[in-house]
Amino acid sequence: MASPPPVPRAVRRRGSLAPYGFLGPATLLFTLFFALPIGFAVYLSLRASRVKGLGLGSHARTEVWAGLSNYTSALADSELLSGSGRVLLYGALLVPTMLGAALFFALLLDVPRVRFGAFSRLVIFLPYAVPGIVASTLWGFLYLPQVSPGYYLLTRAGMSGPDLLHGNGLYLAMANIAVWGGTGFNMIVIYTSLRALPAELYEAARLDGCSELQIALRIKIPMVAPSLVLTFFFSMIATLQVFAEPMTLKPLTNSMSSTWSPLMKVYRDAFVQGNIYSAAATSVVIAAATLLLSFGFLKLVNKRANGGS
Amino acid sequence: MSATITSTPRASRHRPAPALPRKGAAPRRTAWTPTLLLLLGAVYCLVPVIWVVTAATKSRQELFTTFTYAPGTGFWDNLAELSSYRGGVYWQWMANSALYAGAGALMSAAVSGVTGYALAKYRFRGRSTVFNVLLAGVLMPPITLAVPQYLLMSKAGLADSYWSVLLPSILSPYGIYLARIYAEAAIPDEVVEAARVDGAREWRLFRSVALPMMVPGLVTVFLFQFVAIWNNFLLPYIMLGDDHKFPVTVGLYSLLQQGANEPAMYTLVITGALLSILPLIALFLGMQRYWRVDLLSGAVKS
Amino acid sequence: MHRRLALAAAAALCGTLVLSACSSDGGSGDSAKAASGPVKLTFWAWAPNMDKVAEVWNKAHPEIQVSVLKQAGGDDLVTKTITAAKAGNAPDLMQAEYQALPTLVSNDVLADVSKQVGGAKSQFADGVWKQVTLGSDAVYAVPEDTAPLAFYYRQDLFEQYGLKVPTTWDEFAATARALKQKAPDKSLTTFSANDPGLFAGLAQQAGAKWWTASGDNWKVAIDDPATKKVAGFWSGLVKDGAVDNQPMYTPAWSKALNDGTQIGWVSAVWAPGVLTSSAPDTKGKWAMAPLPQWESGASVTGSWGGSATGVTTGAVKAGHGDAAAKFATWLNTDPEALAALVQQVNVYPAATSAQTGGLLSAAPEFFSNQPDFYPKAAEIAKGTASAAWGPNVNVAYSAFKDAFGKAAQDKGDFGAALSTMQQATVEDLKKNGFQVG
Repeated sequence: MASPPPVPRAVRRRGSLAPYGFLGPATLLFTLFFALPIGFAVYLSLRASRVKGLGLGSHARTEVWAGLSNYTSALADSELLSGSGRVLLYGALLVPTMLGAALFFALLLDVPRVRFGAFSRLVIFLPYAVPGIVASTLWGFLYLPQVSPGYYLLTRAGMSGPDLLHGNGLYLAMANIAVWGGTGFNMIVIYTSLRALPAELYEAARLDGCSELQIALRIKIPMVAPSLVLTFFFSMIATLQVFAEPMTLKPLTNSMSSTWSPLMKVYRDAFVQGNIYSAAATSVVIAAATLLLSFGFLKLVNKRANGGS
Repeated sequence: MSATITSTPRASRHRPAPALPRKGAAPRRTAWTPTLLLLLGAVYCLVPVIWVVTAATKSRQELFTTFTYAPGTGFWDNLAELSSYRGGVYWQWMANSALYAGAGALMSAAVSGVTGYALAKYRFRGRSTVFNVLLAGVLMPPITLAVPQYLLMSKAGLADSYWSVLLPSILSPYGIYLARIYAEAAIPDEVVEAARVDGAREWRLFRSVALPMMVPGLVTVFLFQFVAIWNNFLLPYIMLGDDHKFPVTVGLYSLLQQGANEPAMYTLVITGALLSILPLIALFLGMQRYWRVDLLSGAVKS
Repeated sequence: MHRRLALAAAAALCGTLVLSACSSDGGSGDSAKAASGPVKLTFWAWAPNMDKVAEVWNKAHPEIQVSVLKQAGGDDLVTKTITAAKAGNAPDLMQAEYQALPTLVSNDVLADVSKQVGGAKSQFADGVWKQVTLGSDAVYAVPEDTAPLAFYYRQDLFEQYGLKVPTTWDEFAATARALKQKAPDKSLTTFSANDPGLFAGLAQQAGAKWWTASGDNWKVAIDDPATKKVAGFWSGLVKDGAVDNQPMYTPAWSKALNDGTQIGWVSAVWAPGVLTSSAPDTKGKWAMAPLPQWESGASVTGSWGGSATGVTTGAVKAGHGDAAAKFATWLNTDPEALAALVQQVNVYPAATSAQTGGLLSAAPEFFSNQPDFYPKAAEIAKGTASAAWGPNVNVAYSAFKDAFGKAAQDKGDFGAALSTMQQATVEDLKKNGFQVG
């Protein structure tokens, strides 16, 4: 909404207080369940726990001010950086594949004379309804060569499958779960914006003798670019917040450390090692980085869009 | 943030977005290549689903011994075992999930509706700030908020209650974003103005004029939020201590993590996982006609 | 439409109001409410069927009603309880593994109940009791079960491959290699980097004392010679491929036990329960032997897990301390309770009377081929080396998983992994203000 449309005067005058009333519930909820906890997290990130003596017996621990020490140690921890690197690599593998597949299927669905379109659309969308924990548990079974039907068939055929739970295979394993879960949703988003394009656009191209492929490449894809930007944005955020999948796969393999992704490190600090203070500092850093990245991305897109038009 | 998302330059030239494939196009031969590719995609998506369906039919003995896509003989036993586990607590988990997701999504749709309407139909000081701040909420990793939310909830005496899971699930930045787009597209300014001229007060105007027009959009918000709450794990895991209040995700996790001297109850987990996705599939199939994903692409027909 | 929506919203809201009204007394004990009726206690436990044992108590004690809230077991339960306690929502009673006790005590979760439960001391072995006192005059929990380590093996397959049951670790290594030679696709066992508890038990057997306190100082000796010896031993086996290197408690592992790909398992006395559900096809084919020894002729073992029932400071504050302590004592010393624990919860009770009495006269069904299972277990348990836990076992354990996971996968040096674990543990102590000397 860079330039809001001219507003009827009546709206401005008569609704002067009403919108604030309408925003009341959301503001209240936001304050209670987002702003307050965020503020509290920031507060905790400046605190630390100190013990007296052996630390046994009651009241052995006291909370003290820690200044920025939680932040300096969070930033100094190389695991945060390498975790971010792993997540970026995972994202670089996942997001293009998922969106590529989503776009591909959406274009196929939009091809005239496709059969079983409704069925395929529904089935490809289906994984969206499966909770991350359940999805990872199911794929986990399929990844373990000893119990997986896929490996069973490969062995029967005299081949050996890839080692998906170790080394670089892990990236594939992780990305596959997310591709499986997310392609359908993004496909629907892109598909609906394809459906919204005026049909006259391609009628002329068809009359000119363009093939469906050419129509897809030259007309459809550029026209759904805004949807692609949107799906890219939300996929990027989901990637940065990846958590349930690696947590569920972790017990199955030696190769997934407890600090594989930055959020897993937050979880480990807070829930395994019991240090909510350092976890709070790390999560403030992650949140700030996410905000910076997201708004930076949006600014960039806006600039492009404005420069282009 | 709103700029990129809402400024898709489309207006009156839209053809309506039909739910079914276009029938009008020349009825010639089936396009086999795209059809086959799509079916291939569908097969890929069904791989783990079929696996969980067949695995749920296997008894403990069969689970790891028979070829994994061959159905077994133990489905009813598994179901009975799952149902009798801790006096049928699994069904309580399902009921809890339905409550959290149902009530949470309903309230979420209501709050998103009223907020989205205000953001879409009024020009007022701080409007874009409010919107951006609300949207920034989606960028906050949930895990960041979990512990502070828990500690604050405890101070209010609400930890380990149904409220502790319900209340934080109501505000959905994503839902507000959707409701706003929908309200912008679906409620013509002239209608609002006409009602005002008739002397309608703002709340009445919203309730009896705007809200009915927003229903399809709010159904979509409801569905998305339903799925989001149903699939949520971390918040209930941290908030709840009483396993009779667990939603099904946390319940299944407690079956997986039994501690060292009790291995995961795989047959129960698998059967439980299968049953836990059925309601969502049913919900989507049942509401297929009402929900509007086209919201997401900004391509709302008014 | 909107009217219906509003109605539905109102109905849902009312529904949740009712629900939350019901639930508000399900949380931590509230003395005001309890004054009129029976005392209501909450008990967090992960052991399945603990509710059935509580039922026995509830029937006999209408004035103190205990409800069991089953939790997901695992590392995060300790922190979940600490956070709950910090927020004033701790349960009244909790099941805690021995190694978690110092952490819980140092976070003010568990109360000193020496006055109420001190009399039960004579019912337990000294080494076990020491774990719930943390070497002080206080008592923080009542021992529930112990878990001495033993060696489990497939009798039929050992016979088939002509293997002898190893009595020393040297023999164990030789057996593992011999098996690999005879059947390359089979393994004697696996080294699991996901189970620090097992590694800790093996180190205890070798004489390790990971945490010791003197004065106000903690000493951490995770990389002491005894532990190094254990790490080096398994490192060698993993490097040569003599044993598998994949984690336990995965579907793949269950299958390997079930179809005989792994023909042995170093585990604790609770192993029959795990084998029953993980390897159902192998019923009657396993046998238990004492843990292999470092010195021929010795009979020392370590522990893997084992838990106690603690009373929380929250319960004491709410005036339920006595009632909770009474239940904890009953649960772990009363013959009826012990019988229920053994039969329903499948634990190996810590109370010495239960270990040798009639309760455990019959072998577990899965081990019906070994009728003297429990007398033998009691014999093994006698040589249990004492454990030495500190206030940040959770940190050491999570460091173990990461460092040993990597080392096991790369078939690399376990010694370096051990140093990493030591370092992470010491650093964490210092960061929290402990004096480490």
